[in-house]
Amino acid sequence: MMRAREAVYIGLFDSLPLLRDPMLMILLSLISFLPVLFIFVFNAGESAFLQSLVGAIVLSLAFAGIGSAQSVYFNKHWFRFQDIFVASRVSPVSYAVGLSVSTLLVSLPALAIAMTLLFLQTPAGILGILAVTLVAVVTWISLLLLGFALGASTKNTRRANSLPQLLGLLLGFLPPVYYPLDRVPSYLQPAAALIPTTQAAQLAKYYAGLLPLSAPEITFGWAYLVGFAVVLGLLAARLAHWTDP
Amino acid sequence: MAHPGRLADAQGGEESMGSRGSWFSQEVERIGHLCSERSSRRIRIEPAMAVIEVEGLGKTYPGGTKALEQVTFQVPKGEVFCLLGRNGAGKTTLLRILATQLRPTVGHASVLGHDVVREARLIRERIAVVPQEARPQMMLSAYDHIYLMSRIRGMPRAEAKKRTRSIMEEFDLWEHKDKLTADLSGGLRQRVMVSIALTMDPELLFLDEPTIGLDPLGRRQVWAMVRRMTKKGVTVLLTTHYMDEAEKLSDRLAIIDKGQTVFLGSVDAAKAHAGHGMQVIVESNENGGERKVLSPTSDQEILQVVQRGIQEGKRVTFKPPTLEDAFIAMVGGSIDDESA
Repeated sequence: MMRAREAVYIGLFDSLPLLRDPMLMILLSLISFLPVLFIFVFNAGESAFLQSLVGAIVLSLAFAGIGSAQSVYFNKHWFRFQDIFVASRVSPVSYAVGLSVSTLLVSLPALAIAMTLLFLQTPAGILGILAVTLVAVVTWISLLLLGFALGASTKNTRRANSLPQLLGLLLGFLPPVYYPLDRVPSYLQPAAALIPTTQAAQLAKYYAGLLPLSAPEITFGWAYLVGFAVVLGLLAARLAHWTDP
Repeated sequence: MAHPGRLADAQGGEESMGSRGSWFSQEVERIGHLCSERSSRRIRIEPAMAVIEVEGLGKTYPGGTKALEQVTFQVPKGEVFCLLGRNGAGKTTLLRILATQLRPTVGHASVLGHDVVREARLIRERIAVVPQEARPQMMLSAYDHIYLMSRIRGMPRAEAKKRTRSIMEEFDLWEHKDKLTADLSGGLRQRVMVSIALTMDPELLFLDEPTIGLDPLGRRQVWAMVRRMTKKGVTVLLTTHYMDEAEKLSDRLAIIDKGQTVFLGSVDAAKAHAGHGMQVIVESNENGGERKVLSPTSDQEILQVVQRGIQEGKRVTFKPPTLEDAFIAMVGGSIDDESA
């Protein structure tokens, strides 16, 4: 109970500046939904709009996960709160959970609206929506771990800001997450399928009832996502230290 | 610069004064003996409990950089102990090891009776640290920082509110409670950081360069805070490269250079290492004339310098040694000279 409270207050401490600035929070929260708006305006059809909405849901949490790199870096090297917490009774698990939760707070409002819209517009039903949520959460955990590894190993403030943005572009906007995989030239499709966010988007679109997938494809998708999370977990464990070596 | 590679201590300092053979030092020694005999007859003085014990401590970073070598010292309860040295001398490394943030590679260190590696958890409950160049979140108020830190550290809501108010009042922050820290001066921001450290009533407070970048007023505010802490019995270990700060705050200090302790003792004992304890300044009376600062090594030499100066019609003045003189004498260069 005490550790849970520690984590909640660390999360609150990390996210309070943003929570106190609702305008900025709404703007940040909506960034991953902007391509959905463009697709809707340029009227590529209802299916394209819903596929991009599912992609945005997955990416909203993915971006939040990568964003942990900035929290980890700035709390360690800029504000130095990590050192303050280390030399106190705060546990490393509470600290990690607290920072992770704080990344979620930003995206939750927009995410809730998008989920409701998805529920109303697709035949997915509650179970489908829950499955989409599960895919998004696994993707969030993977990229959260990547963010921890990145934030802990970055030594340069400029990189701490630019690297997560670059990764967001590479994992979010370029691969077929907002748009269908078959829009990618056929010779590039195997490469695109290796990007974990592509796999996450494929699974989420399937559970939303927007895309047919075969059983082996579903199994491969989950195995790839979970395997990616495990590898990044090992990387984070190696690079993100509570006390310095 | 050749590294002196020696460890002077307070006792060594007194011996060197005694070796002058002057009537003054002999008299001081005699009175000292009398006082200690009398007091030992009346009461038995227990040695203060060592809050920090460091023995043969060394740290080599994974990249191979040797940051600390064979550091040994003790800090008794209630003392302000200062680590003085140039940037990169190893002060922060030493402080971070003692604050359980960094692992040593050799030697042993215990804090509040517990080993810094094996019993770090027991230490962490009783200490607090203000890291070097730590800064508050600009978009939070001073109150937010202190209240949330109290909550993170397990204080119930009502108690956290009460404690936040009492700390803020004690350190004259209450009137600024709703201001964003972005709108506070450097001195006030540093007071916020120290206040955060004090939310849990630590027995030992680590301050890493607490006044770096502050204006003179801000520095004095932080010094006053440290003094208030020691009055409450808190032991303070601080690092600095400001001579005046070390001189004003420390009960004892260690001068660290290239990862080694080159001096350990009181400020007065350190000053006794600067030449013969007195500097003689010989200046030409003409404007823009020659000016020499001499550190004679004996009474005889002082007399010779003074006589020669007067015979040559020069102005002769005396200056007691400063901690900076002592630092230069021991380390072989100024504290600002990072290339030395």
